[in-house]
Amino acid sequence: MAEFLFEILAEEIPAGVLPAAREELLARATAAFAEARLGGTLAVHSTSRRLALVGEDVADHQRDAEAEVTGPPASIGYDADGNPTKAATGFAKAHGVAVEDLRVASLPKGAYLVARKVTPGRPANEVLGEILPPLVEKMTFPRMMRWGDGTPQWIRPVHSVLALFDGLVIPMTLFGVESGRTTYGHRTLAPGRIVTMGVSDWLQKLRAAHVEPDLAVRRARFEELSRALAAEVGGEPADDAALLDTWAHLVESPCVVRGSFDPAFLELPEEILVTSMREHQKMLPVRAGGQLAPHFLAVCDQAGDPKGLIARGNEWVTAARFSDARFFWDDDGKTRLEDRLPRLGNLQFQEALGDYLKKTGRIQDLTEKLAARLGLSHLDGMLVRAAKLVKADLVTDMVREFPDLQGVVGGLYARRDGEREEVWQALYDHYRPASADDGVPRGDVGGAVALADRLDTITGLFGLGLAPTGSRDPYALRRAALGVVRILLDKKWRLDLPAACADAAALHGGLPRAKDELLEELSAFFLERLRFLLESKGHAPDTVAAVLTTACPDFADAAERVEAVEALRKEQDFAPLATAFKRMQNILEKAPDEGAELDPAKMTDDAERALALDYLQARGMLDDLVANRRYRDALSIMASLGPSLDLFFTEVLVMAEDPEVRANRIALLRSIRDQFVRVARFSEIRG
Amino acid sequence: MDLQTLILKLSTHWASKGCLLEQPWDVEVGAGTMHPATFLRVLGPEPWRAAYVQPSRRPADGRYGANPFRLVKHLQYQVVLKPAPADVQDLYIESLVALGIDPKEHDLRFEEDNWESPTLGAWGVGWQVLLDGMEITQFTYFQQAGGIDLAPITAEITYGLERITMFLAKRESVYDIEWAPGITYGEVRRQDEYEVSKYGFEVADTALWQTLFERFEAEAARCLDAGLVLPAYDLALKCSHAFNILDARGAVSATDRVGVIRRVRELAVGCANAYVASREAQGFPLLPKPASEPARDEAGNG
Repeated sequence: MAEFLFEILAEEIPAGVLPAAREELLARATAAFAEARLGGTLAVHSTSRRLALVGEDVADHQRDAEAEVTGPPASIGYDADGNPTKAATGFAKAHGVAVEDLRVASLPKGAYLVARKVTPGRPANEVLGEILPPLVEKMTFPRMMRWGDGTPQWIRPVHSVLALFDGLVIPMTLFGVESGRTTYGHRTLAPGRIVTMGVSDWLQKLRAAHVEPDLAVRRARFEELSRALAAEVGGEPADDAALLDTWAHLVESPCVVRGSFDPAFLELPEEILVTSMREHQKMLPVRAGGQLAPHFLAVCDQAGDPKGLIARGNEWVTAARFSDARFFWDDDGKTRLEDRLPRLGNLQFQEALGDYLKKTGRIQDLTEKLAARLGLSHLDGMLVRAAKLVKADLVTDMVREFPDLQGVVGGLYARRDGEREEVWQALYDHYRPASADDGVPRGDVGGAVALADRLDTITGLFGLGLAPTGSRDPYALRRAALGVVRILLDKKWRLDLPAACADAAALHGGLPRAKDELLEELSAFFLERLRFLLESKGHAPDTVAAVLTTACPDFADAAERVEAVEALRKEQDFAPLATAFKRMQNILEKAPDEGAELDPAKMTDDAERALALDYLQARGMLDDLVANRRYRDALSIMASLGPSLDLFFTEVLVMAEDPEVRANRIALLRSIRDQFVRVARFSEIRG
Repeated sequence: MDLQTLILKLSTHWASKGCLLEQPWDVEVGAGTMHPATFLRVLGPEPWRAAYVQPSRRPADGRYGANPFRLVKHLQYQVVLKPAPADVQDLYIESLVALGIDPKEHDLRFEEDNWESPTLGAWGVGWQVLLDGMEITQFTYFQQAGGIDLAPITAEITYGLERITMFLAKRESVYDIEWAPGITYGEVRRQDEYEVSKYGFEVADTALWQTLFERFEAEAARCLDAGLVLPAYDLALKCSHAFNILDARGAVSATDRVGVIRRVRELAVGCANAYVASREAQGFPLLPKPASEPARDEAGNG
């Protein structure tokens, strides 16, 4: 057993690829070590310039591999006297075993000669030299680069390869670089060559050379430094775990500086200041008493900033950025959002779907249709206003500078233009929810406009045949559709979604895809998002399936049914109902719908009459309860029919000889099934 | 430090690293990359090292001389090293030391920033170099130009001269930096900025520039047919500039945009192919003679 160390030193690796690269390297290496029969426990390290693997308890030698090889039948391998024939000696020789070591195994096809072949394990050092280079060369990155003569290809040029097993160099060549026991320290603080003997030596010497190879240590250090520096000015760092993660990938030597800016900038909207700091400068804002404080925390790859040069540089950049933002804020303010609309005609939304002015027109029309469907017509004036202005911020300098603030900027400008609260909030919120943790638009105006915008986009792109495929979703349509579903559910809006999609498709006019086919595809796409959302809320997949395999034009209603089934499942065993439902389904699938009316006079069997009686009594109540969406109560009643259904299936032969009796029984079952599937298709429920 | 001292120091540094000091190109360009000393020289197998200042024009960035950071006309300092030596980052850091920046006292980081120019059919991979949080340089390994996969790979280093001067002098407006001792950038350039902004946004005759675009395009095609690479390339640059003026004027509709970019790219691709063919016909004259092959760069410590 020995330790293993492997470090690739490259030019700065993009922070964005490091998380996946670490995982990929570790997974590939772990699999390769297992396959090479070396075992061991591996861990991955990385910095902005390094990817490394550290192994413990790796075998010095591969385990010997044993395999049994079947040869000729025993009847051919031995003569009548039991002596090996040429066939046996040939077989033994071919596999490098002595003929005496062959044995006879009785296999299903008869008695055969079997050779036990042992491949002796090779020294780990030698094996590792073979398995490591392809491991690294085959790593995949979103954007590879070529360097030097144009041949090597990886994420960035590789400068050194350190590979040690039990203190000895593992010989290999990677991207033309020969392995050795050397690496180099921090690029500017300690760029010298480092010779290493093993893992602990490597760690110790790198740390002395201002390189902290452990991601978790850097992350923790950033957190600690940020808190301390913010506390010195009576504040705390803005809560942003993702930014701290990024910082940890950006450096070798974790260091934070605090800077300040002119408090006069705090007159600018906080959203703009925060975005400028976070997105443009990767800075952590500082908050004090819930308010933005005139300080920031900046990442640096340094040991410290004794002269304050780094802080001063960052302060200068921040002031420049903020002045720029203030310039845009003031300059954009000279033109009202409304007056910007004609310029949307120069901004393309999608080649075949036209510019943003046309999109705005469609959003306005669709918003009105949605309002009618949702009973929001009393908001008409504000809806029209919000829909009209909703994309106007795309032609502002501020959004050109801060694309992530689209919508937010429109909201802030609309507020400044004196638009009503519902209207400016609608603009501000209409890209929400932007992520799984984000909320939906605050008001109904925002919700309706956000729906219209997304339905227009999704329907238009599907209509062009640009639906997402596999991992390719260049227009982020899955997220847009999930947004639609979230808004409908959160607002409990009862919308006939297929009908709304048809409205959206009609507004596009002249989409190449056939309408019926398009609407069917859209329904399936939205249902899939709904299923994903309900399952991610923790609902059982079979409950979700039971509801979503029924007609679900109204997603909020479908969600309520799922919740009702889930709630009742906790109290009651649905298995008997599921079984009964399956039997109903099976029978109804085979039985033609003869359109027979249920007629009590044609009932011949007690169990049949009992079921019909129970059901007919329940039917009126079920109609009422379902109409009022009191699904839990409806479900209890349905479940109470279980015993009568069981009895019916035990005692009654549905497929009776007499066609009238048979048709009547089928009519009874069909009526029950149709009543049940207004809530759920219970056959989907497992145990 | 003033602007011209910065230029002198960079030139001295890169000349000492074997760069030929090229001169600015005399056709309007949007970036130093469009200078033939970069765009054409990165093509083919011949080695090349050059450094030069390139005045660049971006009509859409016009702010009438009122914004302290944005300019139509600005200066880039461009360095191209082909093939990119293994120690290219070290050479770059040495250039900062030559400017008086001690990397041990500052924060120097290379953050991913890839580059792509649809009009040139070109892209590269690299970083923006941040000094104390300020972007001072674009660093790009060219992967493709004029639609041609490149080998060997060139490193392109582009310094934003005004910004670096502002940063080193900690001035809050570009117009306040000194161009030379005793005379500011504003005194030399502010009126120009006002005029080119006004022209680009308000005055430019869009019909004329539309016509010019089309005639330059046709002329470029004629030159390519005649096997004249550089005149064709100059005319392609003129098309690109005409497009930029029309764009700033809001005269390029969204749908046209894609088409116009494609037309300029086709010219750039035509020029790139013609250039490689021409150099090949000349026997790639800058390739080292077999007898005097220089020693390969050693893999440095990055």
